[in-house]
Amino acid sequence: MLPRTIGRAILLLSVEAFFFILFAAFMKTYDTGKVIAFLLFFIGVGVMFRKLDRARLALTDLFKEMKIVAGAGFVLMLLTLPFIFQSSPYLVHICVMAGLFAILALGLNFQLGSTNVVNFATAASYGIGAYASALLAVHFHISFWLGLVVGGSLASLFGLLLGIPCMKTKDYYLSLVTIAFGLIVYILLVNFSWTGGPNGIPNIPPPSLFGHSFKDPLSLFGYQLPFQSNYYYLIFVLVGGSIFVANRLHHSRVGLTWNAIREDEIAARCHGIDVTWYKILAFCIDAFFGGVAGTVYAHYIGFISPENFAFIVSVVVVTMVILGGMDNVFGVIIGAILLTILPEKFRAFEDFRVLIYGVIVVTMLMFRPQGLFPQKMRIYKK
Amino acid sequence: MGRLLETEKLTIRFGGLAAVNEVDFTIDHGEAVGLIGPNGSGKTTFFNLLTGIYKPTGGVIRYCGESLVGLPTFKIAKQGVARTFQNNRLFLNLTVLDNVLIGMHPHQDSTWFDAVFRRSYVEKEVEQGVEKGLGLLSQFSQDLAKNCYQRAGDLPQADRRKLEICRALASNPRLLLLDEPSAGMTPAETEELMEDIRKVRQKIGGIGIIIIEHDMAVIREVAERVVVLNYGRKIAEGTFREISNNELVLEAYLGREEQDAQA
Repeated sequence: MLPRTIGRAILLLSVEAFFFILFAAFMKTYDTGKVIAFLLFFIGVGVMFRKLDRARLALTDLFKEMKIVAGAGFVLMLLTLPFIFQSSPYLVHICVMAGLFAILALGLNFQLGSTNVVNFATAASYGIGAYASALLAVHFHISFWLGLVVGGSLASLFGLLLGIPCMKTKDYYLSLVTIAFGLIVYILLVNFSWTGGPNGIPNIPPPSLFGHSFKDPLSLFGYQLPFQSNYYYLIFVLVGGSIFVANRLHHSRVGLTWNAIREDEIAARCHGIDVTWYKILAFCIDAFFGGVAGTVYAHYIGFISPENFAFIVSVVVVTMVILGGMDNVFGVIIGAILLTILPEKFRAFEDFRVLIYGVIVVTMLMFRPQGLFPQKMRIYKK
Repeated sequence: MGRLLETEKLTIRFGGLAAVNEVDFTIDHGEAVGLIGPNGSGKTTFFNLLTGIYKPTGGVIRYCGESLVGLPTFKIAKQGVARTFQNNRLFLNLTVLDNVLIGMHPHQDSTWFDAVFRRSYVEKEVEQGVEKGLGLLSQFSQDLAKNCYQRAGDLPQADRRKLEICRALASNPRLLLLDEPSAGMTPAETEELMEDIRKVRQKIGGIGIIIIEHDMAVIREVAERVVVLNYGRKIAEGTFREISNNELVLEAYLGREEQDAQA
């Protein structure tokens, strides 16, 4: 039995490694033609995977059988990413941004995916978190780590404030309220003098941990890694934590209740569900995730201005959730990664960015409204 | 022990139309009452008033001695009033078992905090819920219990109705409101449904059932007492035999004889 298990583990890890190397190679490609070739290859693999039932079943069985090996292998490979991109900090930067958007998308997923509350105010909570910790750090020298908690909590409080008026409305009207809220926050940030107005806040100090400033290059095992790697590992931990929280919430009474509200609000009410409270809860948790992401962004870039938190950011995050898969943690992260990396790879078409987001949303909603990775049914252990 | 539920002069007006007009209604613990009337006579509206979906414009609803008027729907549900819907409002994209688990919402108490930080508590709650849910499902239909991970939207109509009743019972209700449970069922399925309702009454002593039905066979079998509504007013009340000989009821359903003769 043992040799067979080891053999299967090696098979599994080599499948993972194959795709990981492909991904790394894809990241290192800058030529538009080659990028398209890569994409076509990935799409081809995806289509084949759907067509070849036997291969799919064998692979999913393999992954299910060795969840721990698969997870550990995946984590290890991701941890080596800064080493692979050692000479190109730009690529590490893209990965950090992908992680930030993954947190934002995971947060929005509680609303858009689980509860079907279409919230267009993600940028607002993102911005509130960023400004809160940036102001604290610049004026009061509060450390980043405390700022992380304060930024998240403050954003959460604003989520509550937004949630209350939203409960008076439904569907499209609710979305309109959230759009208005996002615009209000944006305009206030531009017009307040204590937020730096349109000039924003410069010189936000980087975080430091055990005396190591995140601005300095990271030396690991004799390698000099670009300073972005600090943030890469920070984001890695934060995304891990977000996945953990998201999974736990989805597989609990709270997640199930959110789903009930999404499916049929009146039936949910008739089964003793306090719809208002659960929707507001989704607002608060979403905003907390947004606030945390905003804090990291502010300290990472070192400079923030209202432009970073404009309406378009919310639209991008909504697109990520719709593309990746409603109420599927894995799918949402894939959506975030795809929509962060692809625009960078297609810099040439930057002017058409918003147009492409629109096309993605419309196409997905028409042909695959559940997203690339639909929600899985809950199976309970006996 | 007082009445399980009573209404006094319960009224709701939509503009000039009194959809339910000064209805006095009572039900005791353990009683099954049929609610009948022609289309548009206000039966479902009456249910919507009892469950708080509509707020009455006049009158009183007392449940176990306490007023329900003005309470939000979810609080009324928490006090033990469960219902099914005329056109079946299951959570279609969730599994059969999840539907029943949501029914247990009122007497589970884990919060988001427990979900994130106190996993053992949540797991125990889920485990108990699953066990209870499977037990409930298997009482109604072995098929449902066996296919408990099926999507509720993939079920045939009769199973959907059964599941909806299961979901309602999962909250341990004291008052069960059934809105046309036999709609769209074949005679054999209706037969089975009546058997199920009898089972429910046997198993859960003291549960009160109000049942809206167009199938008079169901009413005759299940209900001890029948209330007839027409144009929002209660026009008759009594046993099935009394009702079926009542002039006003015949008139409401069939029209008046002299008018027909004149026409």
